[in-house]
Formats: sequence, C-alpha cells, structure tokens
Amino acid sequence: MIKQEMILRNTMRQLGFESEEILPKGGFGAVLARAGVGKTAFLVQLALSGLLNEKKVLHISLNDPVDKVNIWYNELFRLLAAGDERVNKAAFLVSLLPNRFIMTFRVDGFSAPKLEERLNDLSEQGIFSPSIMIIDGLNFEDSRISDIKELKKLAEKRGMQAWFTVQTHRHEEMRTDIFPLSFAPFAGLFEIILELRHEHADVHIKVLRGSGSVGESALLDPTTMLIKDKF
Amino acid sequence: MSTIIEKVRNIGISAHIDSGKTTLTERILFYTKRIHAIHDVKGKDGVGATMDSMELEKERGITIASAATFCQWQDYEINIIDTPGHVDFTIEVERSLRVLDGAVLVLCSVGGVQSQSITVDMQMKRYNVPCIAFINKCDRSGANPDRVVSQLRSKLGHNAVAMQIPIGLEADFQGVVDLLSMKAFYFDGANGEFIRIEEIPPELLEAARKKREELIDAASLFSDELTEAILEEAEIPEEMIAKAVRKGALTRKMTPVFMGSAYKNKAVQPLLDAVLHYLPSPDEVENTALDLNNDEAPVILASDPTKPIVALAFKLEEGHYGQLTYIRVYQGILEKGATIVNTRTGKKTKVGRVVRMHADQMEDMESVSAGVIGALFGIECSSGDTFVAPGLNLTMTSMFVPKPVISLAIVPKDNKSQINMSKALNRFTKEDPTFHAHVDDETLETIIEGMGELHLEIYVERMKREYNAEVETSKPRVAYRETITQRGEFNYTHKKQTGGSGQYGRVAGYLEPITEGDEDFIFDNQIKGGLIPTNFIPACEKGFLQSTAKGPKMEFPVTGVRVVINDGAYHAVDSSEMAFQAAARGAFREGYARAKAVIQEPIMKVVVESPTEFQGAVMGLLNQRRGMIVGAQDEGVMTVIEAQVPLSEMFGFSTVLRSATQGKAQFTMEFSIYRQVPQSVAEKLAEDYAQKKKSEA
Repeated sequence: MIKQEMILRNTMRQLGFESEEILPKGGFGAVLARAGVGKTAFLVQLALSGLLNEKKVLHISLNDPVDKVNIWYNELFRLLAAGDERVNKAAFLVSLLPNRFIMTFRVDGFSAPKLEERLNDLSEQGIFSPSIMIIDGLNFEDSRISDIKELKKLAEKRGMQAWFTVQTHRHEEMRTDIFPLSFAPFAGLFEIILELRHEHADVHIKVLRGSGSVGESALLDPTTMLIKDKF
Repeated sequence: MSTIIEKVRNIGISAHIDSGKTTLTERILFYTKRIHAIHDVKGKDGVGATMDSMELEKERGITIASAATFCQWQDYEINIIDTPGHVDFTIEVERSLRVLDGAVLVLCSVGGVQSQSITVDMQMKRYNVPCIAFINKCDRSGANPDRVVSQLRSKLGHNAVAMQIPIGLEADFQGVVDLLSMKAFYFDGANGEFIRIEEIPPELLEAARKKREELIDAASLFSDELTEAILEEAEIPEEMIAKAVRKGALTRKMTPVFMGSAYKNKAVQPLLDAVLHYLPSPDEVENTALDLNNDEAPVILASDPTKPIVALAFKLEEGHYGQLTYIRVYQGILEKGATIVNTRTGKKTKVGRVVRMHADQMEDMESVSAGVIGALFGIECSSGDTFVAPGLNLTMTSMFVPKPVISLAIVPKDNKSQINMSKALNRFTKEDPTFHAHVDDETLETIIEGMGELHLEIYVERMKREYNAEVETSKPRVAYRETITQRGEFNYTHKKQTGGSGQYGRVAGYLEPITEGDEDFIFDNQIKGGLIPTNFIPACEKGFLQSTAKGPKMEFPVTGVRVVINDGAYHAVDSSEMAFQAAARGAFREGYARAKAVIQEPIMKVVVESPTEFQGAVMGLLNQRRGMIVGAQDEGVMTVIEAQVPLSEMFGFSTVLRSATQGKAQFTMEFSIYRQVPQSVAEKLAEDYAQKKKSEA
C-alpha cells in the first residue's frame, strides 16, 4: 500500500509526462541547474521512484563518497514516507536497497571504458545489472563529445536509461532551444532536458525538452527538496 | 606535586590500523626523554615498541589495550592514550575519547582517509574532541599529503588546512617547511633529534607562499584582528595566525594538518609543539556530570583543585602488583590517603598508592589534580565507575556501549585451567564492557560474548598467556534474535487450585512490533477501573519481560515488542504477584503464537579496501556470503567496497580475502543492524533447533 502511494506521490506525472517510463532504453535525460538548487535531490527521487517500480538503479557520484550518497537516499525516503505510520519504514527501505548500487569515481578517473569494465564485473557474476543509471557530478565543460557518445553507446548496449546532472552558471540564459554554452554541444544526445530554477521561495522544474510536455512545470519544495504534490 | 592546569594536555592518538600510531607514540616518548632507545612495532630487535605493553600486542604488531602514559615537552605535561585501530576494540577508542581533551588523528600519506579513520572521526565528533591531523609515512612510495588533506575535507568534512609542506617526498623526504615561520626544518642525528632550521629551498618558496596564504585565509575566519591585518596588507605576525588557528581548532571548525615520517624520525617535534599550541588544556573543555540527587540534572564540573573530587575510572588493568585503575580527575584533587566513594556501589574507599603510568613502568605520586590522568592501586571497581568525595552523588555521563553480536562456548582443559579461567573472565568483563561471560543454564557451558571473532580470539589467547588457562573453544555462534511482525492478541487466565490458597490472574491485551526507535521492549499499561489492581501491574511487566529472555520460537531473545495490557481480572483471595507473573508468561506465549514471529540476525557493515584489479573478485566473495554491496568507491589504484553482510557468513573471511587478493586487500567490520533471516536460513536454524531439542530429550 505504502508503495503504491509513494509511486503516485513521486512521479514524473507531476511534470505532465504520461508515465514513469519517459526515457527509452539507452535514452539520456539531463537536469540542468546552478549549484545548490537541488539536482542531486531531484535525481535521487527519480532513483527512488525507479526502485519502487522494482527497477535496478546504479548511482554514480563523481563528487561525494558512498556514505554521503547513502544519506541522500535515507533522508529523501524518510521525507517521502513521512506521516505513514502503518509500516516499518526502515525495513521497507532496506527491502529496496538490494536494487541500488552506488559507485563513486574521482572525476578524472571516470570514463565509459572504465564504467563498462566495472559493470561487466558486476553482471558477469550475477551481482548487479542496472536498468537506470544516475550520473551525478559529470563536468560537461571538460568533457569531449566523443566521451558522452561512448557513454550513450554503453547505455544503448546495456538497455539502460541514464540521467545526468548538469551544472549551469548565473550568466547563462536558458530557453527551450538555447542551452548553456557548456552543455549545448551535447544537447543533441539527450531525449529529455529539465531545468531547476530558484524563483522567489520555490524551485521550479521546467521541461525544456521531452515529448509532448515542453513548457510544463512543477515545483520542488526548497525545504524538503521533494516534488510538490499537485493533488 | 603541583600541576598548572593550563600546561596540561590529555591527548589520544587515533587512527586506522597500520597507519603508524604506535611508532609515532614511541618517537614522542623518545624525544620527551621517557625512553632512551627506539624499538619498532614489528622490531627486528625483538623488543617491540614501548607502548605495546602486552606480549600479545608485541607479537601481532597491533595495539589492543590503551596504555596511558605521561611525558613532558617544553614545560608542559602531556598524558597520552595510545588507542587501538581495529574496530573490534572500538570500545577502547570510545573510552579514551571520553577522557581526552584533544586528539591527534594519524593518517597514512599513501592510504589516506581509510574506513577506520571515518569510524574514529565519528567517535571524535560524538564526544566533541578537537583534533589536529598528522600525515605520517611521507617517506613511503606513493606518498601524497595533498591528496590526504583534500580527503580530510571531502570524506570527513573537516576544514583541513595544511600548516606545513613537505620538503621532498617518498625516498627523497627530507623535512618540512613551517608555514607560520616560513622556515625549513630538517631533522639530523641518528634519531632525528637535532633540528636544523634553514631558509626555504628556492624551488619550494612559491608553493610555500601560496599555502601560507591559504592558511591565513582559513584562519582569518576566527580572528577579526587577522582579517584587519589582511585588509591593511600589514605584516602578519606568527602569533596572530597561531592564535586564530587555535580558536578554530578548539571549536572543531578547523583542523590544522601536520606531516612527517615517524619511522624516519622526521617532523615529530613540530607535532609535539602543535599539541601544546592547538589542543586544549583541561580547563578549556566543559565536562558535565549527572546529579543523582536531582533527577540526573547535568552539573558542570570545574577543573578547580579546591572543589570536591569527581573522577572517572576509565580503564582497569591487571598489573604486577594487583589491579591498576586508570582514572581521570575532572574536579578537585585526588590525594593519597583521601576517602572517595564509588557512586555506583556507594562503597567508601581509601586512596592507597597513586601513580602515573608510562606503558608498563610507573612513577609514584602524592596526588592527581583536576584535569590529570593517573592510576590507583587497590581500588575495587569496574570500568566506567565514578568516584566522588563523600557527600556528593554525581555520576559521569554513561558511555555508549554496543551489545555483543557473537559468542563462543569455552571449556577449560583441566581443573587448574578452570580456576584460572574464572579469574581471567572476572578481570576481562570488568575491564571491557563489550565483553560478557555467563554460564548457560542448560548446557552448563561457559559462554563468552563480544564484538567480533578477533575480539574473542584475543581474550582466549590472553587467558592462556596471562592466566595460564588452557581452554577449548566451540565454533563461534551468532547472536540471533526473535521478533514479531504483526499484532497478536492475548487473553489468558492463570488458574490453579491444588489445595491451600489458589492462584488466579487474567491478563488481556496485545503484542505488536515496535516500528520506530530501537527499544527492545515497551510495556504499556492501559488497564482502567482497577481490573487488575495497581500493585499487580509490576508483576505483569516482570512476567512479560521474563518471557522475552528466551523466545517461544527458537529460544533466542525476543526484541522489538510492545506489550499492551487493557483488560484483566483478579480474585480477592487467590490473586498474587506470582499468579500474575505466570498469567503474563502465558499471555505472552498466546499473543506470540499469533504475532508471526521471525528470526533476525546481526548484519555487519563490511568495508574492504582492495587494489582495483581485485575488486571484481572481492565483490564476488561478498556476494557469495549473502552480502548486499552498498557501493564501490574508486580511489585510483585502490577501490573501497562497502557491503552489508550477515555476521554468520563472515567467519574465516580474512583468510579467503587474503588468498583472493594475494594478501593485498584488508577489511574492517562493525555491527550495523539486525535483519530478518531469509527463509532457507530460518529453515536450517529450525532444523538445528529441533536436533538440539531431540538430543536433550
């Protein structure tokens, strides 16, 4: 029961998408925002949503250690499940975690071949084979188009949906057709592009690219970093 | 002997196993002239480092029990506690941190911030212990102090700021540049005892200037005076920076970082200076006790020798002349011949011999004043007991003590061993609150319990070496538990009429799982209108609590149960406490049968540090052991893999890990959580239980 309610509460439906399956297999999604607006929190919610739908999620962090990423999950899960006293939440979260794997790399040590090697290690031994991949902290300014294309090939080969955080800067303007200079060369590889923007007391989530939902927006509560309920 | 409190430092040296703490302590003792020769931990000369006073520690090259020792540097008194690095002995680290005012966090310049450093750091945070960091082993191949400083920031969240830069690294490591005085320090002589101060080598000047600026920037947050001096672009005196760094360090908002190589006798003396400059004196730390006469209200203790004594016994050791009790005096002065009271037992004791310890040698003293660590002879007490002046009823805050997760049955080989084993167990259980011993009522075996396989192994060996008690051990047993998963109602009447006065009591209500918090047992009395008279309620609670000691399912302790009683009945003549206790026991069995009981097992947080090329193999090993891999952290040549693995699957893991990784990987393990066992394991346990019952019948 708690599972159903959490799925309903935390979905991409809030953004006008028809279902959770907004990315095709091998598809790329990007969440663009300035530092500190809530990119990681947003992607962890997407990951939790995937876990609730019994998907296997690989979370790659290029900035934070495993423990810190873990805290993000615990904290956001606690907030999402807040108020529901019927079940043992700790036990419920524990039941989801075997489907999540956290990998951290130093930024300079991350590459598609290295990731593929790690994934092969895991899948060959039957330990883990993800269907959703979150890549948090990749620096697009220092990346080459060929690097991202390699990642795309890997995602397609393994049938994974991949979500990226993209950091933007104060001076960079964003529109549905114009992306920040650092991200623009890569934009063609992404099926969905979302933007998080701090406006007054709220964080707005705006769809910049994505089938049929462009221009739709939702809100992120800046105190909890949860997507605000429309219902 | 009088002590000037401002010139006392009580420090701990904490770190990951093998990062060189014991070697560093040994060098400190040499430079402070407490010892006259240097021995190595795994020394070729067969002597072993001075701080590793136990024979076993010398042999294994690890530090098990914290040895408290005293030394003097300049005109300051430093009390050092050398702490163990292995997680199995974490209680020792916790206890040390409880009595310390500051700590030196030792890190390996190659390994950096390792898993155990993270655990130790969490403990330091818990007790709010200010610390400075020492990056050791700068002479090792692969040394990279800069990386360790950035790991201190990223992994531990410290505002780490380098106070020195190295002159050369790896085999070429020669000394350090002090960023305050902007001078180069070299350490000459066979043991690095002669400090040569020179100008900074030209090739390092630019780097030193840059790092000094970073240091001043960071320190300016703690001093308006310094900020003003920066803005005015004035010459900044060394003392002004040092004062600001000290302020930051004492509030744990800044961690000054030093570097060197204890093994090569380089840059240990500047670290000693830093202990004096950047760690607090006892009167700069606020310590509180609980007033037992005033509903445990906290009382702030003053490091004032004129006030009544309050002291904590934080460690016991069996010395050559009887029990040695390490104490930290928080208030007043502890003099030879004074009368003190053990708050826990209320027993009065006269202080006999007062000493100051230096590993396994000692120095007699007349008194120990507030803020100082000393040791007493002939005091009967347990570790963690508080001693106060007669008339006071204070206790130091209780220490966090984890519950044991593993047990072993031990059988003495002969009669002599039996007697010695009892003596040893009596001592060990007093010394170490995480080590338990009891006799099983049914099998009459002696069971020892502790925090890990190595923890128990060490005690079995100590029994043999120190007490000449030869024992045989069973296979380690995991501390399984039972718990319930749903509400189970009960309505039980205990009725007996067998001549004489009868027994009558009825108890009704329900059991339910505790879903929030980590309490083991909650008793909730919702009886209204005197259906069960108030004087029988404690008997009901006792009956339920007794039932949790041995669960009806497989006789494991029952935890996480909330018992609610809301109905009942009594008889004016036949009801008694005994009858209600029996009724509660029956009610528990009835409710339990309906509450879908399950078995839980301890899950350990296992962290393996392995060369990257073996990470696939390590993950495979963990996976075979029912491990859930939480994540893998890529650290360049090394990978850190974190997993949650049932304790029952971890026996013998170190051997398997060694052979799978050519001995290049190491792991640490600590208790994480209790979790329900999978069906297959539950079936196996049920089978074993049935077998055991059958053989007993």
